[in-house]
Amino acid sequence: MRAQEQYTDAELIGAISAGRELNDAIQYLYRQYSQATSSFIMQHGGNEQDADDIFQETVVAFIEVVQKGKYRGEASVKTFLNSIARNYWFNEIKKRDRSGLRNKQFEASREKDEADVSHYISEMERKRQLRDLVDQLGESCRKVLLLFYYENLSMKEMVEHLPYDNEQVVRNKKYKCLQALTGLIKDNPAIARQMQEILK
Amino acid sequence: MTPEETRALVDQLDEYRTGRSSAGVEQLIDQDPEATQEWYYLNLAVDAVRNTGLHDQVALVRETLRQELKAPAGESYMAVPANQTSRRATEKPSGAIIRTIGKYSFRAAACILVVASSTVIYKYVTVSSSSLYGRYFGAYALNTSRGVEKETPIVNAYNEKDWISVLSLAGTAGAKDNQVEFLAGMADLQLNRCDDAITHFEQVIAANAQASTDYYQDEAEYYLAISWLACKKVNQAMPMLEKIKADPNHKYHQKVANMSFFDLRLAQYKENK
Repeated sequence: MRAQEQYTDAELIGAISAGRELNDAIQYLYRQYSQATSSFIMQHGGNEQDADDIFQETVVAFIEVVQKGKYRGEASVKTFLNSIARNYWFNEIKKRDRSGLRNKQFEASREKDEADVSHYISEMERKRQLRDLVDQLGESCRKVLLLFYYENLSMKEMVEHLPYDNEQVVRNKKYKCLQALTGLIKDNPAIARQMQEILK
Repeated sequence: MTPEETRALVDQLDEYRTGRSSAGVEQLIDQDPEATQEWYYLNLAVDAVRNTGLHDQVALVRETLRQELKAPAGESYMAVPANQTSRRATEKPSGAIIRTIGKYSFRAAACILVVASSTVIYKYVTVSSSSLYGRYFGAYALNTSRGVEKETPIVNAYNEKDWISVLSLAGTAGAKDNQVEFLAGMADLQLNRCDDAITHFEQVIAANAQASTDYYQDEAEYYLAISWLACKKVNQAMPMLEKIKADPNHKYHQKVANMSFFDLRLAQYKENK
């Protein structure tokens, strides 16, 4: 399996950008880089579940950055992932605010030449909030929207995966679900604030 | 915004998936502040859905890896440093990030469970031999794959995508060579007659084995595997796909190497269940 072989950084970026072998690429990221993140987080106040969640968020953020063409390759994949994971964990510690000591420990452990990834971290936070709203939609809407906007299935293909009779019913359902999600986003005060800033 | 205008914006959003757009709606977005705002929210919603999908996909791979790599002694696949073992064994779990972000409630935990389960179910439901066939089937073009072909009636019929004529000409052909068998198989595949396609492709492979030739061998092997997927026979397809993947000189090696073997194995698991 490809995931058990080696990708160069360029091959990995190529595979993720093209959207092919994505599962293999994700497996490779886990096999290759999760352990370092795990060790770091557990040495800095986290547990195994924290490490798991942080690395998952990191992988999602990395894939999105690559797929949007924003990964410039100035740092290696390893460095980039480490920076994201460490800073995301730092952010999490600040939110938990369990002890100032841990913050100090973390700051001391930061590498001097670590890239500034603060904008990625705030983007990850925003995405997490939006994901929560998708989850609030309920299973049927969630599935309809994912099939259409993530799996890129046609209405005809969606009928095969859903308990609806025809394409028109699916089309209407998808419209209503998207409206519901847009409504939830509009009602979210944090996002509304961001919106006002953007449209100023 | 009228409901019609909102609908037009959603249609525009969906049209972008296929690279099309309406100038009228673009003008509305540019000139009407309310439409601009609505357009922004719609894009945010789609972005959220895509991020959720990716998050689900990563979670699924993570879960699969966890199962796959689970050590017999019950160790985690993410190795724990030796000096952390005792601390981990005695510490009170501080909880997952998702839980701490929420209100540390059972409700949040239940939500996570529902989301995780639905992720697995979602992927489990959407991946099937049929969906994989839909994903990986691509029409075979005679002139681009094998150089300029001699223009026989069956080649002409095939190039014109007249599948019925291809099958009719193949049926009436006296001595069937591998090209005729292969094109008949492709025509059957195009007409969703996967069982008949399998017979034709197997015939090509058998003829080559008997005559020690390789005329249309690679093509027949690849499309035989695709036909098995079409017929919901992933178990039969897998050895052939593995063989092609392992052979860098095979004409379809790259195509197969680009396939998701994770999804193929998931479909195989479902078939064997």
